[in-house]
Amino acid sequence: MHFAWDPDQQTFRSTVRAFLSANLPSDWESLAHGPASEAQSAFSKRFCGKLAEAGLLVPHWPKRWGGRDAGAWTAFILAEEMWEAGEPRGGQYMNVNWIGPTLMRFGSEEQQARYIPPMARGETIWCQGFSEPEAGSDLASLRTRAEKHGSSYRINGQKIWTSYAQHADTCFLLARTTPGRDGISVLLVPMDTPGIIVREIPSLIGEGDIHEVFWDNVEVPGSALLGAEGQAWEIARGALSLERVGIPRFALAAKMLHRAVSMLERSGRFGHGAIEQAAKARAACEAARFYSYSIIDQREHGIATGPEASAARFATVMAERAVHEFVVEHVPEALSGGEAMLLAHHQRAIVAGIASGAAEIQLNLIATDLLKLPREPR
Amino acid sequence: MDFRLTADQSALQEAIDKLAAQFEAKPTEFRGFALRGDELDKELTDGQYFDIAQVPELGALGAAMAVERLARLPYATEIALSMLVRPQLAGEWPRPLAMVENGRPGRFVAAASTILVIEGEGISLVRTDASDVEPVESLFAYPMGRWKGRGERTPLSGERSANVRKWLRIALAAEASGLSQAALASAVDHLTQRKQFGRPLGTFQALRHRMAECAVLAGGVRWLALKAADTADPGDAALAALHAQEGATRIVYDVHQMLGAMGMTLEHPLHLWTYRLKALLSELGGRGGQALAVAEQCFGR
Repeated sequence: MHFAWDPDQQTFRSTVRAFLSANLPSDWESLAHGPASEAQSAFSKRFCGKLAEAGLLVPHWPKRWGGRDAGAWTAFILAEEMWEAGEPRGGQYMNVNWIGPTLMRFGSEEQQARYIPPMARGETIWCQGFSEPEAGSDLASLRTRAEKHGSSYRINGQKIWTSYAQHADTCFLLARTTPGRDGISVLLVPMDTPGIIVREIPSLIGEGDIHEVFWDNVEVPGSALLGAEGQAWEIARGALSLERVGIPRFALAAKMLHRAVSMLERSGRFGHGAIEQAAKARAACEAARFYSYSIIDQREHGIATGPEASAARFATVMAERAVHEFVVEHVPEALSGGEAMLLAHHQRAIVAGIASGAAEIQLNLIATDLLKLPREPR
Repeated sequence: MDFRLTADQSALQEAIDKLAAQFEAKPTEFRGFALRGDELDKELTDGQYFDIAQVPELGALGAAMAVERLARLPYATEIALSMLVRPQLAGEWPRPLAMVENGRPGRFVAAASTILVIEGEGISLVRTDASDVEPVESLFAYPMGRWKGRGERTPLSGERSANVRKWLRIALAAEASGLSQAALASAVDHLTQRKQFGRPLGTFQALRHRMAECAVLAGGVRWLALKAADTADPGDAALAALHAQEGATRIVYDVHQMLGAMGMTLEHPLHLWTYRLKALLSELGGRGGQALAVAEQCFGR
């Protein structure tokens, strides 16, 4: 065990930083305000194209798919720098982190050839059709049906909280092909298929972020099925484990904490109470960082990640909470027309414990699998 | 960055696990506040474990791993300062070490051969013998003692003081990490065995979530302590000590709540960890003191 960065890792981080400073426009921070907004989605497509040309979009993917087999540390260093900069990749981080790798593992040759190259070129946006009005944390109770009609599936139902849906080209959709827990399947559905209606839900968390998606007799060919019928849990488990420690939220949180502290210091407002609160928030960010690093290190070395991934996620939630509460208390002007990036951080931080699944589910997993407490009765 | 243990680190861990095995349980008849680990101290001395930090393949990170592991035992032994702070002292300063802050009673003071005297920003070293110190009865689960203020003081320069203070913070964090994990493990045992309303307490979500949050805090303390030991960075040390004291504040309260009245008895070993954690809460200026150090080191104040 050692905590120093290897020279390769340092060089790679410098490369990414140099790319960001050369390619982010001077007004980038005001744009980063809405990660799924019209303006940022358009920007992100151009930006991801440039990243791809520079070999910085999917370096951790296999060579066959446009990467260079660079490993989990490279992917995470890249993610840290991107997230700290306000995530200029927009929704494409999902392609890079888990949708691409999931298709590489479970996709048919046709699906891989159709969907992976555009991801590697930075040309396409995906959304994930998981949550439903009656199926959030209890995802297994989802009702959206995909019924076989000849060689096609006919999809009916409703998804909700779908990020990036308005601009997405394709949906990674969970739908029920037969009753019961094992009756859920994954379908890859082009969002321009007739019968899909997307409605934005105005929210606290930024323009264009969350949506309802209605599926009204949406017909897709049988070739839209990913893997086998009923294989959704197996597919989703792998995908969610990549997603759980996929966003280095602590990186932007720590940066915004420093920015808030600098603002307070400049105006002579960094007094005793603020110091203690800021220091605790900083410690929480560092704890989340090294928790997350420990998971990345396991991935790098092919070690199966266990319940520590849930602990890393929860540590990140605590760090986000500590930082955004610090800002609200000491730099409240951030929410009233002040610094755009502090506002953008606030809007991302408040969903840290909600997006990609309620953090309380992680606490259940930690209690059972890490602490080995007896299970709750069902 | 690589978190896999090296062959030397694995060997150390195995050796310490083996040594620790005979000290894992509180003697059934013991009903005191502090369980002194004289036998453990002797074993560690005989095995030259107090010199781990000087072994190039192990260094301070190896020592911090050992401190953390041994703190999980119910026995209170002067390990952390000897393993992590003593290697930083120039000259011959025999162990056991103890720290006296602003004249207050301190851990292991009554048995110490060397005392680190902290007064304001300054730190002095004092060689002591039995006539300079006296034991103090205490609720804390360390043998506590008072220094009578006698003996020749060797003041450390500002730079050396800052270095010693940094390693005191790392020692505190490593020890708190082990204590927190042991306190949690003790509470998990109770929640697994104790039944109410026809089922184990550990099946109730209200308790499970509190325990899980404590586990996350304790795990974070461990990472920050090990990192600080490896980097020897003063900012990392301050962050580790702050997170350790912050985590301990929450963990001590919650695990006692889990144990109910059983945790109030001296028959149950819980206090052997929680009342050591409580003793650590006030050290080095408490959370406010660590926060000032974080502000200085990490926010450039």
